[in-house]
Amino acid sequence: MESTASKYKIGDAVMVAAENPTGNPRTPRYNRGARRVIGAVHGLLENVRDHRGIHKPLYTVRFDLSEVSSCHDQDSIWVDVHEEWLSEVQSQERN
Amino acid sequence: MSGKHTHKPFEGHMHDFEAHIRAVEEDLEYYRAKRFEPRIFYLIRRGVISFYDLLKARVALKRSNQFFKLKKPQGKNIEARVRYLEEWLDEYVKGIALVSARAVEAMDMVTEDNRKERGDYDDFFKIKKKEHHGTLEERMANVEQDLKDYQELLEVFVQTLINRGWSTRAELEQRWKQLHEERPWAGGVIVAKAWSDPEFKHALLTTGREALREMGVHQGKVGKLVVVENTDKVHNVVVCTLCSCYPYDILGDTPWWYKHESYRTKIVQNPRACVQDMFGLEVPASKEVQVYDRTSDVRYFVLPQRPTGTEGMSEEELAKLVTVDSLLGAGYALEPSQQKEAEKLGATPEAPRVRPD
Repeated sequence: MESTASKYKIGDAVMVAAENPTGNPRTPRYNRGARRVIGAVHGLLENVRDHRGIHKPLYTVRFDLSEVSSCHDQDSIWVDVHEEWLSEVQSQERN
Repeated sequence: MSGKHTHKPFEGHMHDFEAHIRAVEEDLEYYRAKRFEPRIFYLIRRGVISFYDLLKARVALKRSNQFFKLKKPQGKNIEARVRYLEEWLDEYVKGIALVSARAVEAMDMVTEDNRKERGDYDDFFKIKKKEHHGTLEERMANVEQDLKDYQELLEVFVQTLINRGWSTRAELEQRWKQLHEERPWAGGVIVAKAWSDPEFKHALLTTGREALREMGVHQGKVGKLVVVENTDKVHNVVVCTLCSCYPYDILGDTPWWYKHESYRTKIVQNPRACVQDMFGLEVPASKEVQVYDRTSDVRYFVLPQRPTGTEGMSEEELAKLVTVDSLLGAGYALEPSQQKEAEKLGATPEAPRVRPD
């Protein structure tokens, strides 16, 4: 149940998919198709009261609000998202 | 949240009747359209109950069978009438908890089923919420009529479950009693201990739920618990933009504004402006605001900073300073003077109406 089951580690740059065809609907619209950084690794989590089966490992990805708006430049959003939504950032997508 | 109807971080007294009625209207529609009616649709689709069971139960329902036994308002003045409507809403919410999926195992339903059924992922399924207009008098009359109607359907539903053998009256009566038991406010107990006991605080921040063992509060079961600490440098805020996930299994039911679309939209666009506009909370420029937006698998709450002037206070006294809002980053914990002022006016920090089970 620990982070050994997880593909990414804190600090990794990732892309969030725009759509998830496999059916896990749980990431907000503003997080889709966006580049993010892994902020925390939660691993596999059992949650039987909430949903059936176990989703892929869970992460918290972060981004600075200043990337998307004129908000206070220190402020940040931390969003939880399962691994099936994530892919590695390709080299041309860096920076 | 339109115009002047902002949610105050802590309403020590009832000066603003309109804000109170608005909170009742919002919560009532939330519980009807998001918690209760989707469950009926789900069970009807699967043949667990049918429309015809509901009709038969309506005929069989006697006043003596009903779970709701509401007292009359304590007077004719507006404050007494507002309190009466609030208490009635509390009973309605407890009634929904009485027949929640986990109370009635036979329903074989998980939270995700309810999210699908109520249209969290597909607008097609959304159940329309009522809009509220008119003078305060008219709105109070409308809310009272709605409560009467909604409560009746809930009673019919309870009777249906009994008639169909999904639960028994004795089981439900036992549970109804438990739902009305007074228990200490878990948020206050946990935070006060974290302020007083560094070892516990460390355990809470690093192991979450594990730290709550043997504390006399519910340890809960829903996903992983993460507690994020407010400091001089960081102010944390919590939201669920997808639905309204909250550690209800530890803290009880969710405050109404947390489920409101306006909060869930604005807090991730401009958190500083949002907490200022909606809660009157000005976060100093020296602090970074971090917003946590969750899926259902991690449930977050905030460990607020200990207010100044609280040195030497006991855990029991400290617990009274902890509001629900401060656990979500929508407010700070109360200073002792604020708490005393509130106590004089007969108010206690907002605590949940349905305790975890």
